[in-house]
Amino acid sequence: MSTPRATPVIDQQLTAAPLVPWQLVVWDDPVNLMSYVARIFRTYFGYPKEKAERLMLAVHNEGHAIVATGPRETMEMHAQAMHGFGLWATVRRADQ
Amino acid sequence: MSGAPLSIDFAEVEGRHLLAIVDEYVALLDGPRDAKDAGVNRLAPDPYPDDRDAADEYRTSTREDLLDTRLAEALSVRTALEGFESPAGADLETRTIEISAADLDPWLRTLSGIRLVLATRLGIGRHDAHDQEDPRFGTYDWLGYRLELLVQLADRHDA
Repeated sequence: MSTPRATPVIDQQLTAAPLVPWQLVVWDDPVNLMSYVARIFRTYFGYPKEKAERLMLAVHNEGHAIVATGPRETMEMHAQAMHGFGLWATVRRADQ
Repeated sequence: MSGAPLSIDFAEVEGRHLLAIVDEYVALLDGPRDAKDAGVNRLAPDPYPDDRDAADEYRTSTREDLLDTRLAEALSVRTALEGFESPAGADLETRTIEISAADLDPWLRTLSGIRLVLATRLGIGRHDAHDQEDPRFGTYDWLGYRLELLVQLADRHDA
């Protein structure tokens, strides 16, 4: 058995640009039905019914909700899926 | 989700009306798409409202795909409804339409997509406080009712 030698690698690129996660935000609109929005959160993201309902109510009552967090490309993929369902979704850096 | 199809009933007059609306929606999506049409644009919203470059890049890569998918889905709904072109009975007699599990999302997305376009045309903006008696909103409200029934049916179907 060997012991790995701890050789710190200092990557200037990573230090200069810390990995900031991105967020998928779904915004309230007066058209989409509450039951439909909850269903999308449940069936598309696979969220349990309770979480899907809570996020739907947050969108409805607070005007928007962060529905997913992760790499930018993934959030853009989710945004496109949300747009396919007719939801108003945007993508932003988590620190904005 | 079980693989069994869902059955929904439409009165003849409803089926004909829905078919006509779906045809209008298909016409909007098929052929040259007006980049300035607010109804079409509502179906392909901007995910980067504060970053024009990112928005342009995203739109270039996704807008046509989104609208192509919308069109294909609307055509599958149309196929299910085309029997209503020839009336099988009086206006209020009902006919049962079967929606396969695979067609469920296309149905939900098409009905909600049509409502989004109608809402844009009717000027429903950030808030919807329209007069329930205003006849211009009749089709919009009726589609909401049909969509709500379909969502409930779909949720029960999943359970």
